[in-house]
Amino acid sequence: MAPTLPSGDQASDQDNWDNGRLARKRQLLTEIVLRNRLTALVVDGDTTCRVLEQLLLRSYGVQTQGVDNGRDAVALIASGVKFNLIIIDMILPVLNGLEATRQIRDMGVHCKMLGVTACSGESERQAFLAAGVDVFIEKPLDPEHLVPILRELDGQ
Amino acid sequence: MLGLDADRLRADLNRLLAFLFHQGILDEQYLQLQQLQDESSPNFVSEVVNIYFHESEKLLRNLRSSLMDREFSDYDKMGIHLNQFIGSSSSIGAKRVRNVCVAFRAASDQYNRAGCLRALELLEHEYCILKNKLHELFQIEQQRLLAAGVRYPMLN
Repeated sequence: MAPTLPSGDQASDQDNWDNGRLARKRQLLTEIVLRNRLTALVVDGDTTCRVLEQLLLRSYGVQTQGVDNGRDAVALIASGVKFNLIIIDMILPVLNGLEATRQIRDMGVHCKMLGVTACSGESERQAFLAAGVDVFIEKPLDPEHLVPILRELDGQ
Repeated sequence: MLGLDADRLRADLNRLLAFLFHQGILDEQYLQLQQLQDESSPNFVSEVVNIYFHESEKLLRNLRSSLMDREFSDYDKMGIHLNQFIGSSSSIGAKRVRNVCVAFRAASDQYNRAGCLRALELLEHEYCILKNKLHELFQIEQQRLLAAGVRYPMLN
């Protein structure tokens, strides 16, 4: 189903729509073409978020793996699997995102790490950055944040 | 004539979407979901939303059973459930549900059991509205696709 801008009778569309912003978002969703095969690990305990984040990455041609807790993420990295990008939630079952990030960095892994969270206070941001993520964003993961990162990783 | 049914249903769909956006039930993140749907995954949006419903109902049951327990004191765990709910709701564009979860989390952060109970009632109500409306949306879309798939007979 092609996305449509509803033209309902009821409301000022301006209240709810910024056509320029939506058009830009659509553009970001389609305009990037990756030259290299990138890989990403998505670490999110929530199934909805993990599925969506992986699908968004795959829509750009990024090969993805997903795990639902911090311990499995650390174990996967420790087994030698390499990724260009790790997207990791702050709050995770078994081993939280902060500790998982620290352990991954302590292994000498230097890939780009993008911390995502539903709670976006300044203290959370500082804590996640101090743990070792390169970028911190509030959910949902969207093209506006992701595309510049993918371009950078692709060497564009 | 049969093609007019598809057009009428598309108009119904747009009207319902406009209503949902105007009421703040959905936000533009829902459009991003639609952008990820294509011929290779034609039911993607409804599949992801069904995952969201399944996970959300587990969270709602956990929240209710925690608060119904007179001995309840694990507000940290409640905060984790609410973070998950906030993240998943943001990811599919469920704006009002997300906002109620944020208020709920604020009550939980203050160990305010009465506030949490009020927020839970509101959350269950908002979730019910969202689920009913999205089911209606998917039903109209199904009907539209069926109507659009009907071909005109050849005329001699």
